[in-house]
Amino acid sequence: MIGYVAGHSPLHRAHPYTTLAAAAALLLGAFALTRPAEVWLLVAAAAGFAAVGGVLRSSARTALVLSLPIWVLLFVLHGLLGADPRVALGPLALSAPGLARALVLGGRVTAIVLGFLTALAATSPHRLVEAMTAGGAPFGRAFLLASTLTVLPRMRERAAQILEAQQCRGLRLGGSPLARLRALGPLALPLVLGALAEVDEQVLALDARGAAGGARRTALDPPSDSAAQRALRWTLLLLVVAAYAWKFWRMRG
Amino acid sequence: MTALVALNRVSFSYPGAERPALEAVSLEVLPGEVIAATGAAGAGTSTLLLVATGFAPRIVGGTLTGVRTIAAARCGVVFARPWTQLTGLCPTVRDEVAFGPASRGLARADVLAAAERALERLGIAHLAARDPAQLSGGELQRVVVAAALALEPEVLALDDPAAELDPEAADALYDALPGLAAAGAAVLLATPDLGRAARVATRAVAMADGRIVAEGAPEKVLTGTEVARLARAAGCPPPWPMDLAALRRRVAPDTAR
Repeated sequence: MIGYVAGHSPLHRAHPYTTLAAAAALLLGAFALTRPAEVWLLVAAAAGFAAVGGVLRSSARTALVLSLPIWVLLFVLHGLLGADPRVALGPLALSAPGLARALVLGGRVTAIVLGFLTALAATSPHRLVEAMTAGGAPFGRAFLLASTLTVLPRMRERAAQILEAQQCRGLRLGGSPLARLRALGPLALPLVLGALAEVDEQVLALDARGAAGGARRTALDPPSDSAAQRALRWTLLLLVVAAYAWKFWRMRG
Repeated sequence: MTALVALNRVSFSYPGAERPALEAVSLEVLPGEVIAATGAAGAGTSTLLLVATGFAPRIVGGTLTGVRTIAAARCGVVFARPWTQLTGLCPTVRDEVAFGPASRGLARADVLAAAERALERLGIAHLAARDPAQLSGGELQRVVVAAALALEPEVLALDDPAAELDPEAADALYDALPGLAAAGAAVLLATPDLGRAARVATRAVAMADGRIVAEGAPEKVLTGTEVARLARAAGCPPPWPMDLAALRRRVAPDTAR
């Protein structure tokens, strides 16, 4: 599941900047940490983040699906082709430093993907636009960010409609991988062409309603922010800075 | 009376098109008018709406003057496909309708009041808390018209606004148009619905191949339909014009719905 999932978790109720700050901290933190244990602590933090948002199961499943090919690639690249010494894993003799490297890189990818899936699932695009509007951001910037968050769910919904229509007209799904690949054609073409055809009208409609008018937009329902949330965001920033300071201090040592 | 929009021999071409979508079109849109533009598919009625409201500004001939300031939100436009006109960001119909006034930077209370007025006007106040994505086509059509009305435009352009509506809702929408015009706005309507258009329009424009081929009182311009000709031949009483729905209402009112 990729995209916003309505809910009432603490993350859903939090100011959107707080949720996005946490996801950004996971992203930046992932590159500051260099040891397998540290990175896997970060993966645990990402899982905790998803649990607070009430989306652990769906986000973890999607994160696993998305990062699995990368895991396989890292395992082959570093585990099988990495430098000596080797450790035995069943019939395989794997590179010990290569495995450590694969664990670090794979952990980073997993933490980042899980963090951003959670932020996507728990951040209402409407609340994000309202928060940015209240903060004085131009509507164009807020809309660009929010529509990026909604693009996948919208495409998925449209794809489902096209698939239903094509099945009504005789498209058969399933069968061999080649047959499935062939079925992508009748889906992809109308999906892309339809989206392109409608975007023109959508832009005109937004223009007609003053979206590009240049006036400072009125926030109708800005999400509440609190001193505690602001403090949390500052703390996350300080943690990231501290993580990088530690990383560079260790590198000098 | 000063025209809100004046097209003087305006021509317009879409990029790559072989022939212009509008050719030497002259039209004045006055406050208080409901102008119905009609014609076969491809006649240029939708393009006329876009050009008149400033959404297709690169005209290739003629002059265009008057209210076309999109930035000032003085033109409201409703396109034929309502689902393309949702912002995709608003969780409720009220937020969707309030989007336009909020973009103008009005005070929050004024934004919400404008949205409430527009919802009331279209008779959809009961939908205010609904998710726009969950509405039927007809409900959605009324929401996008309300969203345009919330801007309180001086020129309201409607492109086949009843395409998704059931007959009752279509009647209600068309019947609301003279009221908007009476409040000082001009309504420019592109429609194939001759019966309803004739009922509410103060002036009609018939188009073919991007040109205006007839302009004047609706009862004169819109009488050329085959149904009207048959009705006339069968001795059905005026007023003209007449389409199937109007004929049925007149001849057998009990079965008209």
